[in-house]
Amino acid sequence: MRSDPTAPEPRAPLPPMPPAKLRTEKLSAWYGKKRVLEEISLNFAPNEVTAIIGPSGCGKSTLIRCMNRIHEVTPHARIEGRVFLDDQDVYRQEATSVRRRIGMVFQRANPFPTMSVFDNVAAGLKLNGVRDKARLDEQVVKSLRQAALWEEVKEGLYAPGVSLSGGQQQRLCIARALAVEPEVLLMDEPCSALDPIATAKIEDLLFDLKKQYTVVIVTHNMQQAARVADRTAFLYLGKLVEFNATRELFERPKEKLTESYITGRFG
Amino acid sequence: MIGERVERKALSESMNELNQNMRTMSELAEVALRSATEGFASPDEFDPQGVFALDREIFGLREKIVRSCVDIIALHAPVAIDLRTITVSLETTTDLDRIGRYSKDIAEVARRIKEVPAARRGAAPEGFSRMAELTKALVRQAVEAFLARDAEAVREVDRADDVVDDLHDQLFEETVDRMVKRKMPVDVGAEYILVNRSFERVADHAVNIGLHTFYMVTGQRIRTVGKTHTIPREDGPIAGGDTTNPSPSP
Repeated sequence: MRSDPTAPEPRAPLPPMPPAKLRTEKLSAWYGKKRVLEEISLNFAPNEVTAIIGPSGCGKSTLIRCMNRIHEVTPHARIEGRVFLDDQDVYRQEATSVRRRIGMVFQRANPFPTMSVFDNVAAGLKLNGVRDKARLDEQVVKSLRQAALWEEVKEGLYAPGVSLSGGQQQRLCIARALAVEPEVLLMDEPCSALDPIATAKIEDLLFDLKKQYTVVIVTHNMQQAARVADRTAFLYLGKLVEFNATRELFERPKEKLTESYITGRFG
Repeated sequence: MIGERVERKALSESMNELNQNMRTMSELAEVALRSATEGFASPDEFDPQGVFALDREIFGLREKIVRSCVDIIALHAPVAIDLRTITVSLETTTDLDRIGRYSKDIAEVARRIKEVPAARRGAAPEGFSRMAELTKALVRQAVEAFLARDAEAVREVDRADDVVDDLHDQLFEETVDRMVKRKMPVDVGAEYILVNRSFERVADHAVNIGLHTFYMVTGQRIRTVGKTHTIPREDGPIAGGDTTNPSPSP
């Protein structure tokens, strides 16, 4: 006696989505009158990398800028909906405290041009009132190690930060973000200006960083999302189209629109 | 990017070429099986060289398809339906190659039977012609489903395979019975048992093609729990992110 051949195979279940470290609830965003995000509800799991993909202008950078309240710095920018960090509404907290807990790395490495490698990493700590030399030293070394940059800069800690290569500068910015010991790391296309080797270093770094942090990465490089992310969200025209385990999204997307986008046949 | 039309011409062209090669390979496997079964039915007029040549052709085409799949993976990093088409093509080439190889085996049996004097051969059990027809029809059905991307056809293919399996058991018993009762020489009976087995295996490969097709179209791996084929999978199901927003139209 045979079973129905089209009955799905029993498959070992993957671990369910853990409770979210960070989540958005019906998050919408505007620049002036232009609405760029429409009611995005997304959960970001701790100790995972979540990638946000989508075509240029779909709102993926705006989404992460709303999460650490950088969006509101832009004139005429506003949001509706809510963002929770550990179930606490970040818009009911001090913006600076939120930005300390939710660090950000940008598309272009932007070390402070007049500062040394050391001072770049220590800058955030100093802003937060840390003056103790031993503590600063310890935290700078730890952050540089976490950012996989220590071995390359330990002989030149007092050289200008901008004297480093592009990939090193980006890891310097990651070290700077890590120095204040955030809980979440947001990365806005961190490899778009880097060569494949520098990109691979950052991707390896993400693999290690997620053991300690909640990582959200915006990327227009789908292969990068496939390589580094545990889960992936696809945004289109400001709306969330699909959010799933990365393997599922790239092997068998549920939505036709996702399929069109990731296979590169669009329009 | 938004609003622009993108086709990925280089990938599309490679995929079209892959699909064309898969179509050709399917057709060659079908022709090989048809020729071999005709030869088995009428061994005295049969020249097996045609089937041998087809088997070589099928093998060569398989090598070419495997190379082109590797090229597409290396150059285009395919995902979703493209990825599933490539993995299924790789799997299906193995099944088609095996169908070609079993056709060659049947042709070799026909050649050997041809050398046995007709008076000594004895008549083949009647069910063999039906077995040949069923198996050919099953391969046709599976290949059509694959080429037409028809996921649901696997149900019919699987049902037909059950009939082939039952007939295989029946023919085996009947052939052994004839040998035991000395109505058929053992060397000839052994050839019939070999052919019977080849038909049954060909039918199993047709079912595999149906199963691969189901995955290619739906993205879902399935299995049949049968006497001979099971496709184990150890990976898990969709791990949930919640898609709470409705899809916008492109």
